[in-house]
Amino acid sequence: MALPAVAFFGIFALIPLIGVVVISFMEWNVLGSPKWVGLTNWEAVLFDRPFTWTALGLTVTFVIGSYLFQAPVALLLGVFMAGQQRYRALLAVLYFLPLLFSSVAVGLTFQSLFSPNYGLSAALPFEWLPNDWLANSDLVMWVMIFVVGWCFVPFHGLLYQAGVRQIPQSMYEAATIDGAGRLRQFFSITLPQLRYTIITSSTLMLVGSLTYFDLIYVLTGGQPADAVRILPLDMYVTGFASYNLGYASVIAVILVAIGLTLSLLLNVLSGSSKMDSDKAGA
Amino acid sequence: MMTHTTSSEPVTPDAKSDRAITPETAGADRGNIKQNKVRRTGAPGEKLNILGGLGGWLWLAVIILPIYYIVITSFRTSEDLRANNQLLPSTNPTIAPFIKVLQNDFLHYFTNSVIVTLATVAVVLSASVMAAYYITRSTTLGGKRLFQIILLGIAIPVQATIIPVYYLIQQLGLYDTLWALILPQIAFAIPLSVLIIVNFVRDIPAELFESMKVDGAGEWRILTSLVLPMAKPALMTVGIYQALQVWNSFLFPLVLTQSSEVRVLPLSLWEYSGQFGIDVPATLAAVVLSALPLLVAYIFARRHIVAGLTAGFGK
Amino acid sequence: MRKATRMAAAGLGVTSLMAISACGGGGDNGGGGGDADANAWILTGGGWPAIEEDFNRWNESNEDAQIDVEGIENDSYKGQIRTAVGSGEAPTLIMSWTGGALLEYAEQDAIVDLTGETGDLEERVFDSVWQNGQVDGSTYAVPMNDVQPVVMYYNQEVFDEAGVEIPETWEDVEAAIDTFNENDVAPFSLAGGSVWPALMWLQYLTDRHGGEEVFQAVVEGEEDAWDNESILFALETMQDLGENGGFIDSYNSVTADQNEDAQLLADGQAAMLLQGSWVYATINNDFPEFADSGNFGFTSFPTLEDGAGDPSNIVGNPANFWSVSADASEEEQQIATDYISENLYNEETVTAMLEAGSLPPLNDIEEEIAATEDADFLEFSSQLVGDANHFQLSWDQAVAPEVAQPLTDNLSGILRGEMTPQEFVDAMNAL
Repeated sequence: MALPAVAFFGIFALIPLIGVVVISFMEWNVLGSPKWVGLTNWEAVLFDRPFTWTALGLTVTFVIGSYLFQAPVALLLGVFMAGQQRYRALLAVLYFLPLLFSSVAVGLTFQSLFSPNYGLSAALPFEWLPNDWLANSDLVMWVMIFVVGWCFVPFHGLLYQAGVRQIPQSMYEAATIDGAGRLRQFFSITLPQLRYTIITSSTLMLVGSLTYFDLIYVLTGGQPADAVRILPLDMYVTGFASYNLGYASVIAVILVAIGLTLSLLLNVLSGSSKMDSDKAGA
Repeated sequence: MMTHTTSSEPVTPDAKSDRAITPETAGADRGNIKQNKVRRTGAPGEKLNILGGLGGWLWLAVIILPIYYIVITSFRTSEDLRANNQLLPSTNPTIAPFIKVLQNDFLHYFTNSVIVTLATVAVVLSASVMAAYYITRSTTLGGKRLFQIILLGIAIPVQATIIPVYYLIQQLGLYDTLWALILPQIAFAIPLSVLIIVNFVRDIPAELFESMKVDGAGEWRILTSLVLPMAKPALMTVGIYQALQVWNSFLFPLVLTQSSEVRVLPLSLWEYSGQFGIDVPATLAAVVLSALPLLVAYIFARRHIVAGLTAGFGK
Repeated sequence: MRKATRMAAAGLGVTSLMAISACGGGGDNGGGGGDADANAWILTGGGWPAIEEDFNRWNESNEDAQIDVEGIENDSYKGQIRTAVGSGEAPTLIMSWTGGALLEYAEQDAIVDLTGETGDLEERVFDSVWQNGQVDGSTYAVPMNDVQPVVMYYNQEVFDEAGVEIPETWEDVEAAIDTFNENDVAPFSLAGGSVWPALMWLQYLTDRHGGEEVFQAVVEGEEDAWDNESILFALETMQDLGENGGFIDSYNSVTADQNEDAQLLADGQAAMLLQGSWVYATINNDFPEFADSGNFGFTSFPTLEDGAGDPSNIVGNPANFWSVSADASEEEQQIATDYISENLYNEETVTAMLEAGSLPPLNDIEEEIAATEDADFLEFSSQLVGDANHFQLSWDQAVAPEVAQPLTDNLSGILRGEMTPQEFVDAMNAL
C-alpha cells in the first residue's frame, strides 16, 4: 500500500539526499565524471572560502528578516480577513491575487518596477525615492525580503484566517462579558488558540525562506554577490555557473543540516506537536 | 514566545479534538463552507476597528499596485511605455504584446506545464493516500518507522538535492524530458501530502474500519468508500497546494531541461524576458497570460480553492 | 493483507510502466535512435535572425539532412550548454566563443576534430579569427557569424547641445566628462548591473595602458599575473568614472539583457556607450527613430597618452564558433560537417549579414560591403578589425570557465566601490 510512495520518495528524495553528501567528497565540473577527493572540498569551502560565511550571514538575515516581516503581517491579515464585515470579505478576495503569479512572474514584474530609469522611481514625483533598489548593497536585501513577503504573505494569511475561524465564538463572548478589551482578547484567546497554525505557518516560512531561490535569482540575477547571494543561490551559482559541483554539494549539505536542525528545533519548541508520530500506529 | 503560548492555554485544554471533523460533516464541503459563513458573524472585531481597516486598505495597495502595473503595461507598446508615465494607463491601448507572446509558442509551454502539473498531482494524490492509509492502519513498527522517515522528508530543502537529482536524471537518460520534472517533484511532494492526509485518516473512528471489515470489505473498498471520502478536504488541500508548487517551480526545469520542446511556463517567462529584451510589455503580457488560467480557476471556484488550500493545514 | 500486497504491486506497476514509457516519450533531442535530425542552438536578438534564416534555407534544400534550430537567450545559453554537454545531450552543433570553454570541450573529447573537414573556409576567413578555433594545431571550431569588436557609440545631438567634440584621446574624454556634467547629461551609459559590459572598459583601459601582453600573462597562468600596474590603473580609472560622474547615475541598476544601456543612449540621457558591435543591429531594430535621425554615431576607443598599448588594438569577440558534438550519432555529425563545409558564409547569408550591419570575418568581401545600402558601420568595423594589431577575446570567455564567475563577482565589487583595485587583483590571483 505504501510502496509507490516509498519508491518515489526513496529513489528521487532519499537517494539524492545521500548523493549530495557523496558528491560533496568529489570533484566534478559537469563535463566528465565525478572523482573522489576526500575532504578537500570541505576544507576549501569551510576554511579557504570566506564567501561561505558571507553567504551564511546573508541567509540568516534573509530568513529572520522574512520571518519578522511575514509572520506578523500574515497573522494580522488572517485576523482581519476573518472579520465579518462585507468589505473585509471583498478585500480577502483581492489579497489572494499574488498567489496566482509564479515567482518568476513576480521577479520579472518587480525587476521592471525597480528599473532605475524607466520604473517606479522615474514614474513617481518623489525626489527622495532611491533608484538603485536592486544594485545598492544596503537596500537590495530589504527589497528581496519585501518582494518574497509579497508573494508568500497571502498564503499564510489564509492559514491564519482559517485558524481564527476555528476559534469557538463562545470564548470571545465570555471574554467580552468579563470586560476584556479587543487587545486582551487577541493576546489571551486568539494567539493561544492559533498555536497549531503558528507552528505550521512558521515551519513553512522558515524552511521555505531558507531554501528560497527562484525569486531572488530572477529578481537580482545573483548580483551584487555579497548582498544577495544567500546559500541556495550560492549553491546554484557555484554548481551551475562556476561548474564546481563538489563545492556546491558541500554548500547543499550545510543547507540540509540547517534545514533539519531548524525543523527539529521547531518541533521541540512546539511540544506535543502533530509531527510527533506516537499516534501513528494507534 | 511559542513556549509561552503553549503553556497559557486556559480555555479549552484540547482545542484539537474540538475541531475534529465528524463523519457526518466530513466530505460534505458545502456543509463546511456554510458553517464557516455562519461562524463569520461574530468573529473578533465586530466594532469598528479603524486601525485594522487602515492596515487592511494599506495592504491592499501593496498587493494591487504591482498587479495594476503588470496589467496596464501589458496593453501598451514599448515606445509608449518609455514615452509616458509608467504608472498611468496608455491612452492608446493595444493587444499587440499578447499577440506577440501567443506567436512565440506560449500555448506549447502552457501545455507542457499542464501535463507536468496534472501528472505530478495525480500520482502524488494516489501514492500519498495509499501510504497514509497504510500508516494509519498499520500495527507494526514498520509503519511507524516509515512515517518518521517520510516526515523527515518535509525538512529536506528540495533545492539542496538538485545536484544529485541532476546526476540521477542524467544517468537514467531522462535529462531534457518532461519525466525529469515529474518524477522528482512527485517524490518531494509526498512527505507533506502524506502528513496532511494522515491527520485526516487518523480521525476516522476505528469502529468504522472494523464494521466495514466485518461486512467483508477488502482493502480497496475501504480505501475508496471510507478513506477517500473522509480525506476529501485533505486531498483538496494537497491537490491545490502541490499543483501551485509544481506549476510555479523554476529550479527543476532550469537545471533538468534545455530545449523549448519541454519548456514549462515559468522557464518560458524567463526566456521571454531575455528574448523580448526592450519589449517589457510583451514580457509582462506573458506574465498576465501565465496567471490567467489560475485566475479563471480562482474566479469560478474561489470558495473551494480557499477552503481547500487551508483545510488540511488547519488540522 | 494479500490484497494489500496486490495493490502495492499495482502501484509499483504504474511506476515502472511510467519509467519504461519515459524512455520513448518526452523531448527527443540529441542522442536517440533512427530519424537523425541534427540540431543546433543559437542565440536570440542582434544578428542571430540571419543565422536562423540560413538554417531555414539549408533545411529547405536538404530534405534528408535536416537541422533543428533553436534560439536561446544569451545568459541562459551559457548556463545550459555546459550541462547539456556534460549530460551527453548537447546539440549536434555546439556554439561557443572559443577560449577556456573550447579548450575544455576538446580536452574532454566532447567535440570532434574538424581538421581537413571544413572545405575552403580556412582560406576565406581572417587568419586572426580562424586561429581562435584551434587547439594544439587542430581545428575544433569554425567561425559562423560576424566579427564583434567593441566600439564606442555616441549620440551626436547630445554632443552638439553640450558643444563637445567626439573624444579621440583620454584627455578629451576627461574634458568631455566635465562639460557633460555641467550640462546635466551623463557622459557614458553603462549596464553595470549585467557586469560584463564593464569588462569591456577593464579590457580596453588595461590594453591601452599596458598592451596585450598584460592579459596574455593571465591566460598563460603566470604567477600573480593579475597584480599588474595596467590592470590596477584600469580598475582605478573605472572607479573614478563611477564616482565622479563618468558613468550614468545608478549604472549598477542598468542591465544589458533588456538593452537598457542602449536605450539610455537613444533617449539622449547619455552621450556615449561602449558596447559590442551587435548593439548596432539592436539600435536599428529597437530604436529606429534614433538610428535614422543621423545622430547615431560610432568610433573607436580613445587613445591613452603615454600608454604602452598599441592604439589599434581592439577587444571583443572574434566571432561565435561552431563545434560538432562527439556525442551525436555519426549521421548527425555528418549533417553538421556538411553544413559547415558546404554552407557556412554562403552568398545569400553573407548578404543578409551585411544588410543587418554584421561583418563576416572574410577576406574578400570589400565589394559586397561597398554595395550594401548601410555601408558606414561595416566599413568602419571592417577597417577597425583589419587594422588591428591585436584582437583580444573577452576575458570572461578567455579564462577557464571556473574563473569567469569570480571575475564577474569581483568586477561587480569594483563597480559598486566595495572592493579596492588591490583587493580585486589579490582575489583574482588567489583563484
